[in-house]
Amino acid sequence: MDTFLAALFSGTSRGAIYALVALGLVIVWRGAGILNYAQMGQAMFSTYIASTMITNGNSYWLAFVVAIFVGAVMGALLDILVMRPLSNKKKTELLSSESMRAAVPVIASLGILGVLQALAGIIWAAEERGFPSPYAQEGFTVAGTVMPFTSFDVFVISVVLTTLLLTSLFFKKTGVGLAMRATALNAEVARLSGIRTNFTRSLSWAFSGAASSLAGLLITPTSNLSPNTLDLVLIIGFTAAVVGGLDSPVGAVIGGFLVGMVISFVSFYGAPEDVFLAILAVLILVLIIRPRGILGAKDARRV
Amino acid sequence: MPAVSKVKNHSIARKSLRRTIFFVALILLAGSTFEPYNQAQLALVLILFIGVLSVTLLTGISGQLSLGQGALMAVGGYCMALLMTNLSYSLWVAIPLALVGSALAGLLLGVSAARLTGPYLAGTTLVIALAIPTLANRFMSVLKGDEGLPVDVGYPPVWFTNLFGEPSYEQWQLYVALPFAAIALFFASNILLSRTGRMWRAIRDNETAAALSGVNFSRQKIIVFVISATFAGLSGALYGLRGLVGPSVYPVSLSLLLLTAAILGGIRSIFGAFIGTVIVVFLPDWIDAVLHQFELSEQVSNFMPALVSSLLLILTVVINPAGVAGTHLHKHK
Repeated sequence: MDTFLAALFSGTSRGAIYALVALGLVIVWRGAGILNYAQMGQAMFSTYIASTMITNGNSYWLAFVVAIFVGAVMGALLDILVMRPLSNKKKTELLSSESMRAAVPVIASLGILGVLQALAGIIWAAEERGFPSPYAQEGFTVAGTVMPFTSFDVFVISVVLTTLLLTSLFFKKTGVGLAMRATALNAEVARLSGIRTNFTRSLSWAFSGAASSLAGLLITPTSNLSPNTLDLVLIIGFTAAVVGGLDSPVGAVIGGFLVGMVISFVSFYGAPEDVFLAILAVLILVLIIRPRGILGAKDARRV
Repeated sequence: MPAVSKVKNHSIARKSLRRTIFFVALILLAGSTFEPYNQAQLALVLILFIGVLSVTLLTGISGQLSLGQGALMAVGGYCMALLMTNLSYSLWVAIPLALVGSALAGLLLGVSAARLTGPYLAGTTLVIALAIPTLANRFMSVLKGDEGLPVDVGYPPVWFTNLFGEPSYEQWQLYVALPFAAIALFFASNILLSRTGRMWRAIRDNETAAALSGVNFSRQKIIVFVISATFAGLSGALYGLRGLVGPSVYPVSLSLLLLTAAILGGIRSIFGAFIGTVIVVFLPDWIDAVLHQFELSEQVSNFMPALVSSLLLILTVVINPAGVAGTHLHKHK
């Protein structure tokens, strides 16, 4: 029973972060039709910036805000500098076929990931460093046993839930959010209706960058910070996004918590090295049974 | 009609053979002038060239992006290493058998992944690239976990030394890799020039149009996966022969290295695959030679090759997607 509760708690707080990562992936996928493999590289980079600010004596909260802002700016810059020129090149021979149009942005985002990781290694050295958490990391005691659930986890879950709520309100209630949804639905029609689709696309990238930087800030206190630490988080986030449906933000959140639970239960009841195989099993199972994900739309890209 | 196609088949095979002979001659010439370190590097080029060809066939020709070629390389490497250490087979027997193993892995992957497209396929194969090496720890008793299975190319047989004299270890590495690379090149060239290659390009360019022209595209996609996995397995087996077959030898970054090489050189041509492999293998040395003149900390020089190759990858994709080999080479390949 204790193990069960422990796994449940750890799955909830981890799942919240994976939900955030998955949400970042889904926003760019909907807004630009690209799966951004560099996302956690961006998060790693802005977390390093926050870490440097804190060691230089700035307060945690200032670093927190700056990192999220940097994440947003970086996301928009990547769209403007790399992805937009790429999508304007559709006439070239390599991009003439549909399959390559889907593949080339993936390759570009992998290149961006490589650049960010190498830059982080050059600027901050490759050794792992810790990252502070604003709240205590001592587990609550439930019925005499210490649970792996801390006040920091409460902070993580409440921040993530607030972000998810604000994001869904933004998409549903504001004009810009509506324009972004219209671009996601049909970019051509949106442009004809007077929406600046280039702007909304960059905005999607900025949003996703901010969300993933937040995820980076929330996950590094419990692991360590190095140029490669967040790669695994991206892969888990991808699985979560596919499980929930790549074009559904609500699905991403459900998928995040689901995958968090699976990982937590496998590592509590099985061996830690089975986690990768469990992720693969979940991914393949979903792709076979329900390729569009739990909440994926009917007219999604054929898989 | 049969007569015509027979003539055509002959000319395709002859063209591929000419290319292969030219390639072998070039490598032998380069190998005899290089010093030992560069001979070993050249052997590495040949080994990775086979892996890059697997990417060229899968991604460049048939349009399916896979980030998991490293996992298939691991399958080939482990099959070979198990046969060599447990049954003490010679590498000339173990490698062909390992190819059967990796072809089976490719069949499994193809059947389960061939219906995925673009980013879905890329993500799934990325997870596979991460998950497969952890199997080494799952089946500790057979696969020996993180320690891995040590294997090497051994020593040349007596008839070889009698005929050509005693080669150095680096030269022997090169001479072991060369016949396999030549066979891989011959097969890849044949596939690209033949009807099969045309079918694959048709699938890549438009699945519906290909199906309407009578191409059974779901079957062809699985065949692509099997052939590409065989190439990757061969590359992985030879890669393991450099000393060790273990999970650390086949990391995710190896899959990304193959993709980088294929893109830099030109993802649609064999020539591009070779140029790209030469670039990624020798780039660290070239950068070292340049940076040597500046007083830079180790921190900078360690990450410089990764930075430069990633930057080149982005620039190639954005500015010159056809790669070094160029567009004009792609027309009839």
